Amino acid sequence: MAEKRRAGVAIMSDEQLLSQAGVSALLRGALLRLLECRPEDPVGFLAEHFAHLSSEAEDGASERQSVSRALWHLSLAHHSHRSAFNNNVRVAYELLTQGVPRRLGVGGVRGRLYSEMLRCLCSEGGLSGSTAAPLLRRIQSHDYESVPFELFRQGVLTCAVFADYIRKSQCLYAAVASAPDRPAERTLCQAVLSTLREALETADGADVARYLEASAKISPAKVAQAMAEVQPRAQRHDGLTMDAQEFEDAAAALFIARVRTVS
Amino acid sequence: MKINTDRFSLTFDEYLTETNVLFYLNDAVTQLLEHKEECTQFGVVRYFAEYFTSVKNGNHVLFREFSYIKVTPHNRESFIHTFWKCFRQIGKNGDLLAMSEYSSLLQLLCPDFPTEMVQNAARIVLVDDAADSLMSFSDFIYSFQIQFYYEEFVESVSVIYQDLLSGKNPNTVIVPTSTSVEQLSSAANEEPDAQEGVDSSVFCECIEGLCERFKHKFPSTVAIKEILESSQQVSFYGFLMALAKHEGVNQDIGALPNKSDLLIDPEMDQELERL
Repeated sequence: MAEKRRAGVAIMSDEQLLSQAGVSALLRGALLRLLECRPEDPVGFLAEHFAHLSSEAEDGASERQSVSRALWHLSLAHHSHRSAFNNNVRVAYELLTQGVPRRLGVGGVRGRLYSEMLRCLCSEGGLSGSTAAPLLRRIQSHDYESVPFELFRQGVLTCAVFADYIRKSQCLYAAVASAPDRPAERTLCQAVLSTLREALETADGADVARYLEASAKISPAKVAQAMAEVQPRAQRHDGLTMDAQEFEDAAAALFIARVRTVS
Repeated sequence: MKINTDRFSLTFDEYLTETNVLFYLNDAVTQLLEHKEECTQFGVVRYFAEYFTSVKNGNHVLFREFSYIKVTPHNRESFIHTFWKCFRQIGKNGDLLAMSEYSSLLQLLCPDFPTEMVQNAARIVLVDDAADSLMSFSDFIYSFQIQFYYEEFVESVSVIYQDLLSGKNPNTVIVPTSTSVEQLSSAANEEPDAQEGVDSSVFCECIEGLCERFKHKFPSTVAIKEILESSQQVSFYGFLMALAKHEGVNQDIGALPNKSDLLIDPEMDQELERL
């Protein structure tokens, strides 16, 4: 590095310069995130990753920004990729607790932010306000409360799983409806709903994600079996139908009934 | 920049290579070292953010060296797009330029852009080597796109074409005898003759065979078949010209709009109206 010496002062080598600026740690972190999430658009992902890091370092983020950044982190990995998802929850939690003065050792996300977060998660998951409302009533917290990490994680996971569950229910409804623009027969819907309820009942324990494993038990064969049992009675064609919204609300109710209310 | 294969089944190395991520990261670090003033803890994060944003938006190739702009399909597409944005006004004025002038324009954006490639692109439009012949912006840019974006494909097809012209079917296995060795060396020295042609369906078969094992980008086989099914005989430059004019091929690359929209430049129009 002789050429780097000027006027008797040693100019740093490239390696030293990079290590001083923390480049390898930065790139290592970025690569790990990338390989965890394997996005379809890696360049775009990296652009956003660094942009978020840079603006986090830059300004004392406003609340709105914190929530949207936290949401972005949560969108990176599906909840079934458990470790990646948990990491993202941790990052989101840290983001939302920044700037909150610690009162006598009580840390956590402010209740208002937490509720807002859950609301946004539900709507980003494709849930309508009315579908999500009963769930949110059970799990959101008061504005003034402080939400610790474990509760935060459970809440976020519940919303993510619920969104998936509703999507699945919508697919099930579409499967039993004979035509896309006509409502399905009530008896068929009720058969499917009771299969759903059975599946949910087999999920024991507090871990919300088991509900989704249970719903995976609703194999096409099981639904077909339920429908086959119903079919002869439905020959009456009494014209009773159930529309998509009613089905969705009923399915949602089955799920929400099993969610513990946060007091 | 989207990849289509099941990206979760790739190993780390495969995923990183296929997406060219390591290449861009390496380049970002190299560029960073050339701008040492950015090497602060805060500066580097912002630097990487700007670098990757510009890669994503296709602005990263401006004024870069040729070896950089040709290395990934995304870079090539970005360069073609940038060239169009910078110089579409020429098309509007209806100016016709010579090959050397287009070469100079390209070198404004990429200082070491090779003239040879511009020559090859010009040959698609002009067929014969008349160095002073003039070309319209529209004719040039679509031919340039094929020559640059599908450089390796064009080269391979040229070899196939020469083989077919000299009576050899590249798909057959050749047992070297003294006469066939002579044939090989003389074929290698020939330029593809534009006036002659080869049988389209044999040509098509050979190209499809190439595409099956080809590691570089190539135009969709649907488009290739469409072009080669439309006539019995085809010349090399006739084939390339047809590729240049093919709307589907243009859209697959994604760098340029349709021919009818090529000259539209709303911002410049607004500026001119103010004057």
